[in-house]
Amino acid sequence: MIIAVSGKGGTGKTLVSSLLIKILSETGKDVLAIDADPDSNLPEALGLEIEKTVGDIREELKQDTAAGEIPVGMNKWDILDYKIMESVVESPEFDLLVMGRPEGSGCYCAVNNMLRKIIETLSSNYDFIVIDTEAGLEHLSRRTTQNVNVMLVVSDISKRGLLTAQRIGKLSSELDINFQKIFLVLNRVKQENEDLIRNKAVETGLNVIGVIYDDAEVTEYDIEGKSLITLPVDSNPVKTISKIVSQILN
Amino acid sequence: MFEDIPVDVSPMYEGERIRSANMFVELAGPKSIGAELVQVKDNVEDGKIEVKGLELADMKEGEIYPLGILIEIQGEKLERELEGVIERRTHELCNYVKGFMHLNQRDQIWCRVSKEAIEAGFKLEHLAKALSILFREEFPIIEAISITILTDKVDVEVFLENAKSLYEERDSRARELSDEDVDVFYGCVMCQSFAPSHVCVVTPDRTALCGAINWFDCRAAAKMDPEGPIFEIEKGKILDEVKGEYENVNVVVADRSQGTFDRVYLHSVFEYPHTSCGCFEAVAFHIPELDGIGIVDRDFKGETPLGLPFSAMAGQCSGGKQVEGFTGLSLEYMRSPKFLQADGGYERVVWLPKEIKDELADYIPADLIEKIPTEEDVNSIKEIRIFLEEKEHPILERLKVSTEEIEEDEKSVKSSEIEEIETVEDSISTVAYVPEMTLPTSRGIKITLKNAKIYAEKVIIKRE
Repeated sequence: MIIAVSGKGGTGKTLVSSLLIKILSETGKDVLAIDADPDSNLPEALGLEIEKTVGDIREELKQDTAAGEIPVGMNKWDILDYKIMESVVESPEFDLLVMGRPEGSGCYCAVNNMLRKIIETLSSNYDFIVIDTEAGLEHLSRRTTQNVNVMLVVSDISKRGLLTAQRIGKLSSELDINFQKIFLVLNRVKQENEDLIRNKAVETGLNVIGVIYDDAEVTEYDIEGKSLITLPVDSNPVKTISKIVSQILN
Repeated sequence: MFEDIPVDVSPMYEGERIRSANMFVELAGPKSIGAELVQVKDNVEDGKIEVKGLELADMKEGEIYPLGILIEIQGEKLERELEGVIERRTHELCNYVKGFMHLNQRDQIWCRVSKEAIEAGFKLEHLAKALSILFREEFPIIEAISITILTDKVDVEVFLENAKSLYEERDSRARELSDEDVDVFYGCVMCQSFAPSHVCVVTPDRTALCGAINWFDCRAAAKMDPEGPIFEIEKGKILDEVKGEYENVNVVVADRSQGTFDRVYLHSVFEYPHTSCGCFEAVAFHIPELDGIGIVDRDFKGETPLGLPFSAMAGQCSGGKQVEGFTGLSLEYMRSPKFLQADGGYERVVWLPKEIKDELADYIPADLIEKIPTEEDVNSIKEIRIFLEEKEHPILERLKVSTEEIEEDEKSVKSSEIEEIETVEDSISTVAYVPEMTLPTSRGIKITLKNAKIYAEKVIIKRE
């Protein structure tokens, strides 16, 4: 099952993604986290260090190819396959693949075509894949999220956050991308405003699957750059995401 | 067939990855050494299997060990040239074994064995057994096969050194593979989303314009993804070997370009040059004043001697257009012995950015390298001419010949005016020099001008 997390920048995609990963990996299944945000911070949120991103590998391969350094008898698919596997950060609980920087100039058709297939194959080995997408709508037009089963759109209480959520819903249907399920997750909601925000969220046309309250602990973790998956089990964000997970799995 | 093997063996396990959390041991890979090698030998003992060094059962969970896989084969029709092709199958065949992960090839392999496989009683001996059966099934020309698996560091080190020298030997043979040696080229339409009539023809002597894929890559891609954007082209009858024109290539490009063009010369910028996508690494452009060819690559930020930067030049010929005098190409194609061979190859090149000239230094004929100017030497066509004359670039011969031809032509037509034309040549600038040009006409008449020089006192360009 592929779960993608999208929304406007700064609304809390990474918080939702990292807690999803934590909770899913507790089921004992194989979980792959994909950080598809070029300005990525999922690794930090997960408390992992990365050495190389897919973007770095793509550049390396392009440079080696241009310089004629790849032996004729070697297959570029296999080389990429190996390098992608090498870039996967493996922890006992889950694995992480970071997409990294966007493309430079020149042609990326061939290499991206290879990457798409390789990542598809890699992903097919996992029970759950959680994609922390890049902010905005690009992932839809580039169809990097077209095989997603569940799309969780995260918004804070701002008008702009909700507008982006609405656009994601609309654009996905215009582009004929049929997520099996698409839900809205509201973040940084003050408990006393919950009803008001829920009412506003109706305009997005998406069903709200969970509400995360404005949480002092999360702010503190963010300030200190602490891994979000170490948030206490009884904290509101963890409890909310746990509920979301059981709802999705049922 | 695989009844002695305690795990499943089937193509359905291809692409299997073993997470470090589920793995028993890792073999070879980025933190150790390893290699695989197929060798055609005499006196191969069929069905022989040997594991030298530790078996899986003796290994410690979570550790990383070296790995060597030596596959010796024999058969009446087996030649050493086939070793590489057969060896490439090792990756897929190893992956048929459930619980055994295998990535990449040669001395870059990376394997893992799952905990589950170990629990089922899987041994390296079983891997060898499975490979032995699968290879014979896959390649009936193999009459005898013997497999040795090495896990001892010293053994693998010796094996690796030997394997490396054999890979190098093979690569130098493969590098010599040329268009004549194969019956199949490949077409690629990956760029058609933005260049709808572009069809890339990839041959052993001509990599794709983007530089990303060569003939071998296409062969692998067409096999892995037969419905994909890369497909086989039977080259068919040779129409012109030097220009690189093939009957069936023409048919296929016509079909795949929706009839936009139906002829292509693979090794020329003139008449029917290869179309250009938009993402080519470099452009070769004809410089009419010198009848030479300039080349500019994507990374060159300045202006070319034509006064246009790469981007403007790319704009003129991209999008799948066939524009005479321009063709997109890859840097790798500039290392090809057939590089624009119909036009004279490097003898026709009169300008190159410094960076690519340095990069290609080993591929430009030694007697020419000093004769081709870069942006550091010249800035205009006039300066190029002076440079070429100083260095005695072979293009001068061509220029002389073509000027003489023109003079003769002119003599026969209007002998009295020759002198006058000669004297004004320097004061009026050449607007365009066209080796061959068809004038737009109607009613079935075709007018072709050859070696035409067009002079104009004034050029008016209007945007409609």
